[in-house]
Amino acid sequence: MLGLPLVFAAPAALAALALLAALYLFLRVTPPRPREVVFPPLRLLIGLDRKDTTPAHTPWPLLLLRILVAGLVVLAMAGPVWNALPSANDRALLLILDDGWAAAPAWQRRVAFAQAALDGAARSGRLVALAPASHGGLELSALDGRRAEDALRALAPVPYAPSHMATLPPIARFLAANARADVVWIADGVELGDTNAFARALGEAVEGHSLNVVLDRAPPLALSGADNLSGALVAHLVRAGLAARKIGLVRALDAQGRLIGDAPFDFAAASAIDAKFELPVELRNQINRLVIVDEPSAGATWLTDERSRRRRVALLSGASADVAQPLLSPAYYLKRALAPFAEIREAPPADGDPIETLLAEKPSVMALADMSVPPGAAHDALANFVESGGVLLRFAGTRLAAGEDDLTPVALRRGGRTLGGALSWETPKHIAAFDKDSLFFGLAAPDEVTVTRQVLAEPEPGLGDKTWARLADGTPLVTAAPRGKGLIVLFHVTADTTWSNLPLSGLFVDMLRRVVARAGPAPAETSGAGAIDKQTIRAPYRTLDGFGALGAPPADATPITGDFSGPAGAAHPPGFYGPPEALQAVNTLGPGAALAPADYAGLTIAAGGLDVAAPLDLTPWLLLAALVGFLVDGFVSLWLGRAPRFARPAATALLLVGALIGATLHMPAARAADTTISAQDADAARETHLAYVASGDATVDETTRLGLESLSRVLGERTSAQIAEPIAVDPAHDELSFYPLIYWPIVAGRPQPPALAVARIAAFMKDGGTVVFDTRDALNQTPGGDSTPEGLWLRKLLAGVDVPELEPVPRDHVVTKTFYLIDRFVGRTEDGQTWIEALPPPDPNDRTPRPARAGDSVSPIVVTSNDLAAAWAADAEGRPLYPLVPGGPRQREMALRGGVNLVMYTLTGNYKADQVHAKDLLERLSH
Amino acid sequence: MAQAQPERRIRQEATSLAQRLPGLVVAARQVAHTLLHGVHGRRQSGPGESFWQFRPFISGEPAARVDWRRSARENRAFVREREWEASHIVWIWFDRSPSMAFASDLAPVAKIDRAAVLALALAEIAVRGGERAGLIGLTPPLASRDVIERFAEALAANERLHGASGPLPPVALVKARSRAVLIGDFLEPAPAVVESISAFAARGAEGQVLMIADPIEETFPFVGHTEFLAAAGADRLRAPRAQSLRADYLARLSAHREMIRAACATRGWGFALHRTDQSASQALLSLRARLAGPEPISAARSA
Repeated sequence: MLGLPLVFAAPAALAALALLAALYLFLRVTPPRPREVVFPPLRLLIGLDRKDTTPAHTPWPLLLLRILVAGLVVLAMAGPVWNALPSANDRALLLILDDGWAAAPAWQRRVAFAQAALDGAARSGRLVALAPASHGGLELSALDGRRAEDALRALAPVPYAPSHMATLPPIARFLAANARADVVWIADGVELGDTNAFARALGEAVEGHSLNVVLDRAPPLALSGADNLSGALVAHLVRAGLAARKIGLVRALDAQGRLIGDAPFDFAAASAIDAKFELPVELRNQINRLVIVDEPSAGATWLTDERSRRRRVALLSGASADVAQPLLSPAYYLKRALAPFAEIREAPPADGDPIETLLAEKPSVMALADMSVPPGAAHDALANFVESGGVLLRFAGTRLAAGEDDLTPVALRRGGRTLGGALSWETPKHIAAFDKDSLFFGLAAPDEVTVTRQVLAEPEPGLGDKTWARLADGTPLVTAAPRGKGLIVLFHVTADTTWSNLPLSGLFVDMLRRVVARAGPAPAETSGAGAIDKQTIRAPYRTLDGFGALGAPPADATPITGDFSGPAGAAHPPGFYGPPEALQAVNTLGPGAALAPADYAGLTIAAGGLDVAAPLDLTPWLLLAALVGFLVDGFVSLWLGRAPRFARPAATALLLVGALIGATLHMPAARAADTTISAQDADAARETHLAYVASGDATVDETTRLGLESLSRVLGERTSAQIAEPIAVDPAHDELSFYPLIYWPIVAGRPQPPALAVARIAAFMKDGGTVVFDTRDALNQTPGGDSTPEGLWLRKLLAGVDVPELEPVPRDHVVTKTFYLIDRFVGRTEDGQTWIEALPPPDPNDRTPRPARAGDSVSPIVVTSNDLAAAWAADAEGRPLYPLVPGGPRQREMALRGGVNLVMYTLTGNYKADQVHAKDLLERLSH
Repeated sequence: MAQAQPERRIRQEATSLAQRLPGLVVAARQVAHTLLHGVHGRRQSGPGESFWQFRPFISGEPAARVDWRRSARENRAFVREREWEASHIVWIWFDRSPSMAFASDLAPVAKIDRAAVLALALAEIAVRGGERAGLIGLTPPLASRDVIERFAEALAANERLHGASGPLPPVALVKARSRAVLIGDFLEPAPAVVESISAFAARGAEGQVLMIADPIEETFPFVGHTEFLAAAGADRLRAPRAQSLRADYLARLSAHREMIRAACATRGWGFALHRTDQSASQALLSLRARLAGPEPISAARSA
C-alpha cells in the first residue's frame, strides 16, 4: 500500500475514517467540561443577565488528539499488517527447506521465515507444500496452513548433508500438478549434497513458476578434522565462502561436556584455518569433542576417539621370569611412569611372537626393556614399524649389552660400565644438565639421580647430536636417532633400579612423557595387522543431532564396520560407535574436507535473505496508542476543567485502572520475576537474631520472647556479640538458615508440627544450626520414672530426625567454657539434666592437660528441662518475671551465664577448645 | 455524582461542627482573653457590690448614704459610691446553615467557624463584663464563668439533634433593652433578612448585625467556563464565561448589603462586615466596642 509493506486484513473498515470529519464538527461544538465551584451566594447570580453566552471551544490540540485517537481506533479495526508477504493471489506455495547440518546455525530464523511465509499463505487460503531436503523422494502433498505449520514444527536439521537430487522428482511432479506455483527455496548456501546440480535442475523445472532462493547472510563454519600433534591439538576449520564468520572460538569438551580449553581462530581471508589447543597431553587426551562456539551444528562439532587421543605404548620386557616379583620387573617401572599419559599394551602370555602381536595393536611407541632383537620376522616387523613412523624406545640391560642388534641409535660397546662398584674407583655419576637441542631441554636434572652402571656408546662422529642426555662426565645416557619416518630412542640404563635410580625419579616420567609426546599417531597399518579390527561391527552408541548435541542414536542409524571412513550420512549419522570402552568416532565431514559456497547461478536470490522482518500485526499497537492518547486526553481534560479537588482522585484512579488494564492487555511480556524476600528474612539476614519456635501457647511464647530479649541484651552488654531482638519462627514456612540458635520450648498439649517443619528443622541441624529443646519439666521428672508428657512430645517430634548420640553435658565440654566457666545449665529450676551431642572419647595417649574438649562441629541439639527462658525473662525495666526454684539472684545470674555460653558456643564453635586457651582456662579454673 | 458531592461535603462539614467545637472553644477563649484586658466593670458608679468612690455628701440626700467611717476622718460628710453593675442580657445568634460551612481557597477558615468563634468569645466577654449571655433558641441567659462550655454543649446537642439551623434567626423571647447580636452571611433575600431584623427590633431589642463573608464571595475571581453550585440544594448555574458576570454580581452584592445596612440603621442597629481572611479579634473588638458604645449611657439613663 502506497509503497509501504502494509496490508489491511479488513480494508472496508477504513471507510469509517470518513466519520472523523463528523467527529470534528461534533467536538468543535462541544465545549470542554466546566469546572464546578461551590458558591454560596448563588442566589445573587441567578437572574443576572448573561451578556456573553458563547461557549468556550475545545482547544485545538485536544481536538486534534481526539480525532487522532478515533483515527487510530479505525485503523486498528482495519487489521493492518506490516511487512506482510505478498499473498494477493491464489498460487500454490512450495517451500523447499534445506535441513542439513549447514542449516542448523540459523535454523530458528529459517523456521521463522518459513512460518511467516506459511502465515501469509494461510491468510489468503493458499495451498502449501513443504519439501525438506532430507525427506528425499517422498511425495509432496499440498497442505492447508495449519497442517503445514505442524509439519514445519516437526522438522529439525539432520546431522549430515542430505542429497538434494532425490527431492527433485517429487518437486517436478508437484510443479506439474500445480500451474503457476510460488517456489521458495530456503537454502543453506553450501555446496553439499549436490546443491549445484540441484540448483541447475530446479532452475529448469520451475519454468512457468516463480522461484526465490532465500539465503542466510553468513554461510556456516565447520570442523574438518583435528590432529593431536606433539605439543598441541590442532583443529582444522573450514568455511563456505568469505562471507562467513571470520573470528571465533573453538572449544574443547571432555566426555562429560566439561570445558577443557578454548582456542581462538581468525580466518582472515582464508577459507581454511587451524586452531591450536596448547594443552598438556593429559588434558588433550581428555578431549572428547571440539565445537565452534556460537555455531550450533553437527558440522561444527568434531568428535575424537581413541585413535586420535591416546599414544598407545606397547611394552615388552626381555625379562620373562620375574612375574613372581613384579616390583623388580622393568616393565613395572615403565608402566607406572607411562600410565598417566599413555595407553599401555602388553603382550598376552604365550601367544605367538610378542613383538608382532603388539605391533598389530598399532602402538605409536614400542618400548623394549632390556631385550635384544635378533634378526628374523620380529626384527623385520619392528624395523618396518620404525621406518613407517613408529618410535622404538629401548632400555639397556644385560641382555642388550650381550646381544647383537642394529635397532639402536648408536653402536654400543659390548660390555658395560660399572661405576662405584667394588672394582671401580669412580663414584656413581650424576646427570648433566640437558643440552639445548635435547628433547629434554628444560627439565631439571636432579642431584639425587645417580647412575652406577650403563652401556657405553662407541665413539663415532655425530654421537653428540644423537645424545639427548649425558652424565656429568659427558657419557651419553640417552641417545636417539631417526630411522625412516620413525625414531629409535635408547636409555643406556635399565628400566628398573638395578643400574640407576633414574626410574624412581620424577625426571623419568617427564622424559618418557616427552618421548611419547614426540611420537606421532600410530603409523600406517602394515599389511596383515588389524584384520580383526576391520571386521568388527560397531553399533551406534551416541550420535549427534543437527545442532551438534550428542544424544541417543535415532532408530534408523545402522552400525558401522571398523574400517568405516566415509562421511556420515542418513544411515550412519555422526557420533560414537562401538562399545563404550573403545568408541569409534564418525564425523559429519570427512577429514580434510573443504566447504565451497553453492552456485545459484540463474536463480533469483531474494533480497534481504532470512532477515526479512516477520509480518507484524499492528492492531494491538494501534489500540495501545489509542489508549495512551485517550489517557492523555483524560488528563488534559481534567487539568483544563480543574474539577473540584474531591473529584480528582476518583478520576485519576479511574484513569490509572484504565492504564493498568491497557498495559496488561498489550504488554504481557514485561513481568518481573517474582522473587520477593519477606521482610522478616531480610531483617534476619542483616543482623544476628536468636530465634524461637512459637509453641502456640501465648504465655510460653511471651515468656520465651522476653527471655531471649533479656539474654540478647545481656549478650550485648557483656560480650562483643551484638544480637538483635529475638524472632519467632515457624519452621514450616520461615527460612531458618539465618539463625545460629533456635530455642524451642516444648508444650505438651500442642499439636505436633507438620512433617515439613520437622524436615526443615532436621535440615537446619544438619547444616550447622543448633536447636535448644527445653522441656521445662524438671520439677515433674522423677528419676527412673515415666517420661513426662513434654518428654514424650519431644521424642515424637524427633522420631523423624537424625539425632546424634547425646550425653549429659560433661564438665570439660567446650560449651561450659565458651564465655563463663560453668558446670551446668540452670534455668527456672536447676535439677534438670542438659543433654548435648556426645563428644568423641578423649584420647587415652594424650597427656596434655585439656580443660575443654570439643567435637569437630557445634552440637546440633541441646535438650534441657530447666526452663531457661523463664529464668532469663525480664520485663522492660529488667525486673525478673518468674520466681526461681530454689531461687536467689545467684541462680538467675547463673542461668544468664548458661545462656551466654550457649549462644557463644553456637557462634564460636570449638574455638575455646583450642589449646591456645588451655593455659588461661587452667589458671582461671584453679582460682 | 458531581452534583451531589458538594452538598454532601458541606453537610458533612456542618455536622462536624460539633466535633470541631473543642478547637473553636479554645480559639474563642483566646480571642476573648486578648480583649478582656482593660474591660473591667462599667467604670461608673451605680448599684453594685464593689467600691467605686467617695464623694462629698450633697445635701438633700438620704442620710443613710453617708459613710460615717470615712466622714469621721474629716469635717465633711462623704458618701460611698459603688460601681454600677447592672446586668444586661446579650442574645447571640449565629448562622449554622450549610452556606456558612463554605470556605474557599482564599480563606483560612470556614465562615461558620469564624462565626462560632466570634459568638463564643463575645459571650465570654459579656459574662466577664458582668452581663448575661444567651444563645437565641438554645440557652437561657447565662452568667456563669464557663459560659463558653455551656454554649458549646448546647450547640453540640442541638447540632446532633437537629443538624444545621436555618439561615435566619428564630424570633425568640428577646426582651426590651436586651441586646441581640446576629452573626451570619445573610445571603437570603434581603427582604427576608430585613424582616427578621425588624422582628427583633420590634420587641425593643437593640443589637448588632455582623455579616460574615468569604473573600471569594467578595472578589468573584472566576474566569472561563464555570458551573456554580449552591451550598445546599440542587441549584446550579452554568456560566460559559464567568468573568462576564463579575460586575453585575458585585453590584448586586453591594445592593443587597446596602439594603440590610439601611434596615439596621433605621432601627438603630449596628451593622458590620467581616471577611474570614481578617482576624477574628479585630471583628470582636469592634463588635464589643459598638455593643458597649452608646449603649451604657442609655442604660445609665434608663437606670
